[in-house]
Amino acid sequence: MNGLLRSAVVIVGLSLAAAMVIALLQLPSAAVHLPALVAENLAQSGVEHPVTAVLLNFRGWDTLLEVAVLLLALLTLLTLGGGKAPAPAAAVDPLLQGLARRMLPLIVLTAGYLLWAGAHRPGGAFQAGAVLAAGAVFLQLAGLLPAWTAPRRWLRLGLVLGFLVFLAVAAALLGQGALLRYPPALAGGLILLIEAGLTLSLGLILAGLFLFLTGRDA
Amino acid sequence: MTEAWPDPAAWLILLPLAWATLAFLAGPGRGGRLAIPALAAQCALALWLAVSLAESGARLHPVGGWGAPLGIDLLADGLSAVMLLLTQAVALALAVYAQAYFADAHHRHEATWFWPLTGFLIAAMNALFLSADLFNLYVTLELLGLAAVGLVAVGGGTAQIAAALRYLLVSLIASGAYLMGVALIYGTYGTAAIASLAPLIDPTPPLATWLAAGLMVVGLMAKTALFPFHFWLPPAHGGAPAPVSALLSALVVKASFYLVLRLALGPFAPLAEMAAWLAGGLGAAAILWGSWQALRTRHIKRLVAWSTVAQLGYLFLIFPLLAADGLAMQAGVMQAVAHGLAKAALFAAAGVLMRATGRDTLDGLAGVAGRVPLTLFAFGLAGVTIMGLPPSAGFLAKWLLIDAALASGQWGWVVVIIAGGLLAAGYIFRVLRRAFLVAPEDSRFHPVPRRLEWTAFALAVASVLLGLRGAELVALLG
Repeated sequence: MNGLLRSAVVIVGLSLAAAMVIALLQLPSAAVHLPALVAENLAQSGVEHPVTAVLLNFRGWDTLLEVAVLLLALLTLLTLGGGKAPAPAAAVDPLLQGLARRMLPLIVLTAGYLLWAGAHRPGGAFQAGAVLAAGAVFLQLAGLLPAWTAPRRWLRLGLVLGFLVFLAVAAALLGQGALLRYPPALAGGLILLIEAGLTLSLGLILAGLFLFLTGRDA
Repeated sequence: MTEAWPDPAAWLILLPLAWATLAFLAGPGRGGRLAIPALAAQCALALWLAVSLAESGARLHPVGGWGAPLGIDLLADGLSAVMLLLTQAVALALAVYAQAYFADAHHRHEATWFWPLTGFLIAAMNALFLSADLFNLYVTLELLGLAAVGLVAVGGGTAQIAAALRYLLVSLIASGAYLMGVALIYGTYGTAAIASLAPLIDPTPPLATWLAAGLMVVGLMAKTALFPFHFWLPPAHGGAPAPVSALLSALVVKASFYLVLRLALGPFAPLAEMAAWLAGGLGAAAILWGSWQALRTRHIKRLVAWSTVAQLGYLFLIFPLLAADGLAMQAGVMQAVAHGLAKAALFAAAGVLMRATGRDTLDGLAGVAGRVPLTLFAFGLAGVTIMGLPPSAGFLAKWLLIDAALASGQWGWVVVIIAGGLLAAGYIFRVLRRAFLVAPEDSRFHPVPRRLEWTAFALAVASVLLGLRGAELVALLG
């Protein structure tokens, strides 16, 4: 029975893959060409890089909900039992600690640069937040930062701050007639404000996905 | 059309996002006092939206002011308004129930992140009912799935964590299939906006479109727990704390059904004919198998959860009948609303029964008729809707469905619908019969907060009385 099921799964999987390959080879040319539309409207978006313009302006609604998804992932992790065990410090390696101490300012600087660069070249809040989170993980591995237990008020505030700023901007702009409808003159500044908040909060959320769990097995 | 400050549709998403976040900020176990007034305001917003739609037709809200296909549109029409009304009304009643439920010393530890998770859950559903963009819909599905998984784990027991993880896996695979479909659609047509897609898809599309439609619909069916993808539902819904089971069974599974209906009526309408019979067949199988399992199980909440598997089957019976006229769609929406109210009532009542007896089995129910008569009455009334007896909304739904089947000459479905009603009577009476048995000498009853009993009762009464006001609801669908 199990073998039969397994072969059935393999057959279904293979035929799906084959159908996908055939479908992709026969793909017609698309009727709608969005990159052209993006290029046309880039000047009104408040930023110069098309990816940032799509993420924060044209499809900012997706991004707002995606940030909620990340926050929710952390919340679900906490519900499933993350952050419950007391956190013993990791093994101490003086070499690693020295390296971590020297790297930390550079990591923060890199995150700040990525945040700023997002306006005109690849970069932005998600990348900057990921770098910050990597810094926190590094500190934990070096034994300089204990694993996190249940989040206290200040940590909770940090975790939600970026999302709250984003939400407040979205709500405030409803007065302009639509959610997230930036006035062209303010678009650049508002996007930077949102991205700055997100950098901090996404950094904490991504770090939390690691740091709330490490306390258990250490 | 951007006249709308303040647009109730946009606030229906922003408000729950805001209170969910603030509830998290407030700390574990907190947020109930914030959630209840906010949900009351959401009820008013949904009502306001429904009234304005009835007057002036569907409304579009172009997020960012760009409009599809560059931006994302929110679209509120009759169908979304009905689902929004159902969601806010049931969520408000269950929030009142949950606050009393978690106030008890034995259950306080279960509450941890219940309120923020519930807020995100409701925001996700509202965003889903309003979105008109296939990729944005994927994001709402992710939000909904994660919130639901978190809620299943809220009680914290080992069995619940196992059920939550199984649910997570199904949910992720299903979302993955849906996303793959969206990628294929975008690759083929260059847009994910439903309004732009609808005129582009003809009855003989390229293979990629067929694949996309198949992947998306199968993924959504798995999320709706349609037979044979139902296996995750009974442990997830049957094991969670009562307010969570009620939210998941009454509302969450309807969201993915709504999306299937949207796709079948909208962009995939030219392709729907072939798959409609398959969907109907699976629906019929779900009715029979779910009811049969509900007749066999020994646990109260498992019984109610299996009943959900069966009742979801009715929703998919409408697909082979959609072509006939508007009747089938009215039947489907009426069934979604009737089942939403009745199932919330059944789980709420089951929670009271379990707390009163301290046991979770049917055998433990002996004697409850004398102890919590109001709750038992609520269970019976909700049962009337589930069985489809007049004058309940469940009766109206099944009657419309039979009407649609007869109008298109498809007699086979009528047999399934009637058989499902008889089987439902069977499993509802299993509970009622035991409740009236004499309690054994050694049985002990625990007092139950009155608020739990009254909310269950209110939901049950609503599910029955809605049958009398069904015309207004149907009129909203246009």
